[in-house]
Amino acid sequence: MKKKVISLMLGATMLTSMLAGCGAQEAPAPAAEVTEEAPAADEAPAAEEAPAAEETAEAAPEESSEPVTLKWAIWDESTTQYWGDIKAAYEAKNPNVTIEMVDLGSTDYMTVLATELSGSGSDFDVVTIKDVPGYATLVQKNAIIPLDDYISADGVDLSKYAGATDQVVVDGKLYELPFRNDFWVLFYNKDIFDAAGVDYPTNDMTWDEYDELARKVTDTSFGSQVYGTHYHTWRSTVQLCAVLDGKHSILDGNYDFMKPYYEMVLNQEKDGVCRKYTDLKTEGLHYSAAFSGGDVAMLNMGSWFIATMMTNLASGEYDSSLCGNWGIVKYPHAEGVEPGSTLGTITGLSVTTASDTPDAAWDFVKWVSGEEGAAVMASSGNFPAIMTDEVKAAITTLDGFPTDDASKEALNVSNLYLEVPYGENVSEINSILDSYHGSIMTGEMSIDDGIAAMNTEVSALQ
Amino acid sequence: MIETSKSVQIEELQSALEETIARARSEQNDRVKKKLIQQISRYNSSIDKLRNGRKISRQTKRDLIAYSFIAPNFIGFCVFTLIPIVFAFALAFMKWDGSNPISFEGFNNFRRLSGDTFFKAALKNTIIYCIGTVPLTMIASLALAIILNQKVIGRGIFRTLAFFPYVASLVAITSVWKLLFHPSKGPINNILYTIFHVSQENLPQWFSGGLCVVSMILFSVWKYMGYYMVIYLAGLQSIPGELYEAASLDGAGTWDQFKYITWPQLSSTTFFVVVMLTINCFKIYDVAVMLAGGGSGELTVSATVLVYYIYQKAFIDWDLGYSSAVAMVLFLMVLIVTIIQFRGQARKEA
Repeated sequence: MKKKVISLMLGATMLTSMLAGCGAQEAPAPAAEVTEEAPAADEAPAAEEAPAAEETAEAAPEESSEPVTLKWAIWDESTTQYWGDIKAAYEAKNPNVTIEMVDLGSTDYMTVLATELSGSGSDFDVVTIKDVPGYATLVQKNAIIPLDDYISADGVDLSKYAGATDQVVVDGKLYELPFRNDFWVLFYNKDIFDAAGVDYPTNDMTWDEYDELARKVTDTSFGSQVYGTHYHTWRSTVQLCAVLDGKHSILDGNYDFMKPYYEMVLNQEKDGVCRKYTDLKTEGLHYSAAFSGGDVAMLNMGSWFIATMMTNLASGEYDSSLCGNWGIVKYPHAEGVEPGSTLGTITGLSVTTASDTPDAAWDFVKWVSGEEGAAVMASSGNFPAIMTDEVKAAITTLDGFPTDDASKEALNVSNLYLEVPYGENVSEINSILDSYHGSIMTGEMSIDDGIAAMNTEVSALQ
Repeated sequence: MIETSKSVQIEELQSALEETIARARSEQNDRVKKKLIQQISRYNSSIDKLRNGRKISRQTKRDLIAYSFIAPNFIGFCVFTLIPIVFAFALAFMKWDGSNPISFEGFNNFRRLSGDTFFKAALKNTIIYCIGTVPLTMIASLALAIILNQKVIGRGIFRTLAFFPYVASLVAITSVWKLLFHPSKGPINNILYTIFHVSQENLPQWFSGGLCVVSMILFSVWKYMGYYMVIYLAGLQSIPGELYEAASLDGAGTWDQFKYITWPQLSSTTFFVVVMLTINCFKIYDVAVMLAGGGSGELTVSATVLVYYIYQKAFIDWDLGYSSAVAMVLFLMVLIVTIIQFRGQARKEA
């Protein structure tokens, strides 16, 4: 009997230890981070300064002579030019500051960052905020500090961000400053339209006109397929077309308004106008590969893809005979809505709670999200959060930017809605909408059932 | 002075020892006898201690050496496994996001489970996956082992081939599977379309909907059968040849030999295989994410599994308490299944 008990216990221990790898991952993370603590020696003098957010202004000029190292969390350092540009420009202006970039990878950046900032062992000073759900997580975890005191002390004018900052205010406090503001446009391949003898898309198209146009250029004959349009597997590519009327938001809790857009996309899929969601999901085909392959006429995508197109065409990575003749127009709009209404995604910078040198970190954040940072961003074809006419001119005159007037005009945004504004439970809502988007698009659920499930699940959160 | 008191003590102990030995010799009751023997060894060690003037007895020293050998592994096990497990148990009753103070929740986390669609879907998929994978893998690996235990030409090569999927990288072979089962361009669906004339709308979508779990089961059986085949091969080779010889003399056919010799002789191997398979099946995560997750690695309701849901709740939504509660459900399920299997095995052996 005793033996049996022991062997049972051994069995239990064995399987618990096997489960531990997956079941109990929570605990090792903070434990592992404690070991990483080792503060950099050159930060020691600066660390003595009061970390309190209030006494900011007078501390800033004093420390300008002391060497400071700021650790900055970013992604895709090797493929994205502006990180290095910003570092170089800021260090040139502030010789005492060294910016140390840590690349956390793009795919699960916000998850990795949240893990890094859990517990007390983090030594990041400045972190890049990639999306709003991740921002909400960090705010709730108290991992980043509110910037309002700094903003009022230094007199930063938030109106230059054209309302973007208002949508990420948490309980009256702002925890990030945007330095990059991407908005969605419609990319198109002029060669395909020329070959089909169809007029190019325009800056003033309704969704119906867009649908019609996509069907016109589509060629379903085997071997020479041309897809009229393309939707990446993201939820944004379908659901967010629906929020452009300005009346709805993805935090609504009732998603019936998305139905016509799901119908449009699924009908296009059925008729071969766009690639099938299940195919894309299985292949993991990236939208850039789809568009640069030369068989996609239109692609709805964020303005970050402009810089990607320009760089990769210049370097020869994309075959310019397939996609070299491209242009952009404004996002299609719903009937009765002003053209130029589009979705935006802001990328922001935050100062961590754990930072030893919050004042120096704030100075960096302020600089990058200010006019000087904007100029650096624009020089590589990226869209800074501050869009002035000079910035627009700088981007449109870059080598490789489409030369037609419609493409230049496409950069004028009339209404910008954030893909995901801040809201309570935004992270959970995001997960739910993602999941049911997949269910609807793969045909596991009908559009009505999927939307009904979204409604019930999201309302169950409150 | 000290010396004499020592020798007196030793003498006293010695006499007590002899007395106990005598009592132990004459004692009939097993339990009392055992106790007396323990006492004898205690007397022995204290006499030893006094004689040699050592503070630590030889036995303690031996124990300490043994512990020092166990220590490196055990400390690692404690820090990275035992403490986290205990912590996870406690967390299941708490609310914590990894940074803010922990607050006590009682059974709230467990109450939430019953109304959680995603949890229920994950539970359902995991159970279906286990029910499908465990017997199929067992049968496939046993069949393979029996076939490859025969003297066939090139059996080494076939054994290697059967084992290969297990060694191959999961990422690489899932890519191959996705290519083969691609909904519109894959050869499998092309064969169904051109040879079996399945209409285009009815072609199976292998990686979505209800078929998703089926694909996962098929994939796992194929990938893991080679490993369990090796275990079965070892089991088969330990069955004495005389048994088969005797059986064939008595006129037993192949099926009878399998039924009355191979299967009963393999029972302990089968037990091990089933326990390992069950545990591994409940832990399924990588196969699901690689096959059905697409580029983003997100699983829909039809493909989500418990471990994925635990990860999602813990590291995407940072609801560590709730995620631990889900982990406890997983733990309990594995524990219950394992206890049942242990019971069954014990009854068989008895």
